[in-house]
Amino acid sequence: MRTTDTAAVTQVYDVLIAAFPGRPTDQAVDDLQQDVLAQMEETNPRGVILDISEVTTLDSFFARVISETAGMVELMGGEAIVVGMRPSVAITAAELGFGLDAVETARSTDHALSMLGVRVEDADGEKAEGTNDEATTDSTKLDADGTPTGPASSPGGGR
Amino acid sequence: MSEDGGQTDAFETAVTVLQSGTVRVRSEDDILLARQEARAVAEEIGFSTTDVTRIVTGVSELTRNMHLYAEDGIMKWREIEAGTDRGIELVFDDDGPGIDDVEGVLRAEHSTSGGMGRGVQGTKKLMDGFDITSNPEDGTTITVRKWT
Repeated sequence: MRTTDTAAVTQVYDVLIAAFPGRPTDQAVDDLQQDVLAQMEETNPRGVILDISEVTTLDSFFARVISETAGMVELMGGEAIVVGMRPSVAITAAELGFGLDAVETARSTDHALSMLGVRVEDADGEKAEGTNDEATTDSTKLDADGTPTGPASSPGGGR
Repeated sequence: MSEDGGQTDAFETAVTVLQSGTVRVRSEDDILLARQEARAVAEEIGFSTTDVTRIVTGVSELTRNMHLYAEDGIMKWREIEAGTDRGIELVFDDDGPGIDDVEGVLRAEHSTSGGMGRGVQGTKKLMDGFDITSNPEDGTTITVRKWT
């Protein structure tokens, strides 16, 4: 039980990825929200991806925390995108009457990264590390201010 | 001032109980245990992934309400059979202060302290049968059924 309730916030270029654990206690969900906001202040990312692909039970409490977290990230000047909602979770959430209406969503982490302006290109032949398994291309470039930076050797150095 | 949720049709079916169990809910960890046990039972009964998710989500809502409003409560689960139908029955029983306005909660008019109404009303939608009894003397008892 303890193995699945720890949360993880990682950084990919200047985007934070917060992976919500599959079966967290309410406290673990609250802790992850705190971690996201603390890292938001520390690293000043352009956005936060809230990955709920491991989440098998999204009840009204959990949904509210996700909505609130997205709202807080936006208040702090970042963009928040929820990714990876399972079909059974989406059906249940819709029936329960919360559709995370005000929250931006994406099909995958790749899709969310591209929505946040992290451009994945298949050019320079260097593997971009730290992106997820679905990344099929060979290098990752940031276009934060229209200036390609090439494969970043220091994550988060784009700003 | 006992009130009835009204939707009792699903409980007129006579059922055979195949197996049963109990989870006491006094902490957030217990909410997780109740969810895990409900998931294991629902999967064993043969519910679809979506129905398992509906059931476990309902368990999460109702056990959290018990913990929030009554602090201490019990979830009983029963694997049930009626003819060729198999299903699960879950009873959430507490001795808390009871719900003043059951009808209001079912219409989700109560959204204080994080939305009990939403959770209760939503759970009713996720299940095939739903019954609620609540008064200050005996606390609250919610019974739900879901058929495969």
